[in-house]
Amino acid sequence: MAFILSFAALIPLDSLGHYIHWGWVEISVANFIIIVLMIATFIAAITAPFPGRRRRKENR
Amino acid sequence: MTKKAFNPDVDAPKWKGGYHPYDIVKEGSIAIAVILVLTLVLAILFGSPDEKAITIKTWSNAAPLDFANTTLEELNGTSTTAAYGAPYNTASTGQQLGPLQLAKWVGVRIPVNAAKDFVISPLKSLPDQPALDHQLAVWSAASTSTKNSWLTSYGKAKVKFVNGQVVANTTTAGPVPVMINQLTQMARSGALDQALVTGHGFYTTDYTKPLLFLADSEYLAGLADHQHLTGDQWGMMNETGNYPGQSWLWLYTFWYQIPPFKTSANADVLVWGLMMVLSAVLLLVPFIPGLRSVPRKLKLYRLIWREHYQETE
Repeated sequence: MAFILSFAALIPLDSLGHYIHWGWVEISVANFIIIVLMIATFIAAITAPFPGRRRRKENR
Repeated sequence: MTKKAFNPDVDAPKWKGGYHPYDIVKEGSIAIAVILVLTLVLAILFGSPDEKAITIKTWSNAAPLDFANTTLEELNGTSTTAAYGAPYNTASTGQQLGPLQLAKWVGVRIPVNAAKDFVISPLKSLPDQPALDHQLAVWSAASTSTKNSWLTSYGKAKVKFVNGQVVANTTTAGPVPVMINQLTQMARSGALDQALVTGHGFYTTDYTKPLLFLADSEYLAGLADHQHLTGDQWGMMNETGNYPGQSWLWLYTFWYQIPPFKTSANADVLVWGLMMVLSAVLLLVPFIPGLRSVPRKLKLYRLIWREHYQETE
């Protein structure tokens, strides 16, 4: 049993979910966080400089 | 022979600038390594949803009266399964898209006779039950109108769960009270779960019947509602507990929240049809004039490749 418990999640998310209500729109907090993270990743992917850019400029 | 005119949406201009070496295998390997580390770390931190399976035994022990009521609905043909139509039976037309009776065209591919498969046959499989066998024989010999009269009487009676038994306050329901009580006992012992999955070949992995029976209950609907999993709660994109769900299904579930889909009996096929049209539009973007020009006119690519455009302009 202890062996199994040692593989249990450190932060289990099994408790009843939290939801955001906005008029007839309903979204879970977990989904909202994921969507915000995806948008942030998308913006970062567009705006962050390409790796190796400085090195290429120095070599020029 | 005239030269074909340059179309900025379809044709790419000849590249006249310089070239840089780029190791895409290295980038792919790094991406896979990052995903692997993220997966392991997130799995250790949060695990995954682990809701205990709901069986008919669980249901009938937690809500025996709901089980008894659902059994009555299976017998009188008013349960969701009994009245569904194709692919289970011919009780209704099923989902249709305007004049197209799609469900009916598919036909009865998974035959389910709710009364026989969920109630009568499991009860007949119980060994050493002479009193029950007698009541089942009475049921089988009765005419449809007599059966309906018994079921109506049971439906009107006050039903209680007393000392582990489902008791109905009626004397005009024929064998129905005994049948429903016996099936409830069978369900509470776990025998009904087994009876509904056996008889489908060597491997007993066909859970269609117990799942349909369970889905007819108020009990399962209540649990789904509690976990925000029903259609009117954007449930298609939700997961149990606090776990993130299928957020990419937002558009699919969105249609169920607005008219006419919200109130239509054919919402499933209407939403499916609309999503097929939208998917086709997305798939055919390169061939749709105007729409295919949006990326070029939006100029997002200039932001991504801003270093290049700063150097060349």
